Amino acid sequence: MIPICLKVNGEDCPVQVKAHWSLAFVLREKIGLTGTKTGCEMGTCGSCTILLDGKPIFCCLKMAVDAEGHELTTIEGIENDGVLHPLQQTFIDGHGMQCGYCTPGMIIAAKALLEGNSNPSEHEVRLAIGGHLCRCGTYVRIVKSIMDAAEIVRNT
Amino acid sequence: MEYYSPTELSEAYALLSKYGDAAIPIAGSTFFMGHREELFNEVDAVINIKKLGLSYIKLEDNILKIGATTTLSEIFESGLTSQGVYKILSETVNELNIYEVRNMATIGGEVCIAGEVDMPTTLLAYDTNIVIGSNDGTRVVSMADFHIGYLNNALEVNEMVTEVQIPRPPANTGGGFRKFKRTAADLPIVSVAVRVSLGSDGACEDVRVVVGAATLSGIPQRSAAAEAVLLNQKIDEALIKQVAEASSDVECIDDFRVPAVVRSLWVKCSIEDALKKALAEAGKGE
Repeated sequence: MIPICLKVNGEDCPVQVKAHWSLAFVLREKIGLTGTKTGCEMGTCGSCTILLDGKPIFCCLKMAVDAEGHELTTIEGIENDGVLHPLQQTFIDGHGMQCGYCTPGMIIAAKALLEGNSNPSEHEVRLAIGGHLCRCGTYVRIVKSIMDAAEIVRNT
Repeated sequence: MEYYSPTELSEAYALLSKYGDAAIPIAGSTFFMGHREELFNEVDAVINIKKLGLSYIKLEDNILKIGATTTLSEIFESGLTSQGVYKILSETVNELNIYEVRNMATIGGEVCIAGEVDMPTTLLAYDTNIVIGSNDGTRVVSMADFHIGYLNNALEVNEMVTEVQIPRPPANTGGGFRKFKRTAADLPIVSVAVRVSLGSDGACEDVRVVVGAATLSGIPQRSAAAEAVLLNQKIDEALIKQVAEASSDVECIDDFRVPAVVRSLWVKCSIEDALKKALAEAGKGE
């Protein structure tokens, strides 16, 4: 086992890992942050997306040992003192989901988009969630939820 | 499985020599982790090469040098590769519509994988050289000689790729990259890269037509017949059709995803598109 300390959502999380453990596994099973989902575990579904130093990555393809020294942000870390992030709120209000399994990944990818561009076109939104699968096929409402959130972000 | 994160190249080379076949250098880890079921049992040592200072893009002596651990995002964003003569590199990255993978995957990894990724196709069209390092020193292998077969390359067991070198193409050069895929996350079904250099009289002075992803050999391949049609000719619509037809000298793979006849057709369409794009970029063309 290798002792490492991950910085997740601003908190230091000391944890013992094996070299081959994925960051997704460690976040969910060792740190208990199950908001991040795992689907395909081979980098094609997008449900495990988190932010590493502000950039979206698939944490199923990241080795946990390799994530030390970076700022990690998961879906649990984007609300602010109990107030939901605009994306979380618009996904609820606009029902940007059906089963909800892809939602954390979608929201994280959208957050990365909105931080760089708070006035995205619909095309840019679709590109930002290009690596994300929604098996229920609710893309139309997902895109609308992200567009709605962008408007809130622009006006605050 | 042991994990190492060396900070000196010599340290990394020593580990590669020590573990031989059972060592794998990783940077983005997308391929390694994505193929965990096949690879975990074969690997005794994972060597993270990201702290070796191999993340850079620089132009030196008319050669663009890209460090092995430079991510696709960095290539997409760099001023050296998002505009000017090397713009084709960011255009190639742009065909991968998964930002998460772009943020992780590195050019060194793409080069080593050979097959079903985009970058080697473009690199072959630009006469790229691959710099390989080991305890015995460094050596340079051309992209054409680097790939041996599907998931197979010229690296010896104690070696790793450290840099990709792309010579500056002549003036009036344009490039085009086209790709067929089902979804953003899909591996390419067909990819094509074309580079055209025009002479002062507007005729085609130098050309590369490269087919990737679709080939039976599993690695990017130049179409000698298509290139021969173009060389020393002034390019017009009729010639572009001829070039596309000539590309059938590259044999396409027949598999459960797409039959070979369809791939061949898509190769032709892609070559037409990429060639038109390259001509427009070369400053002449339509």
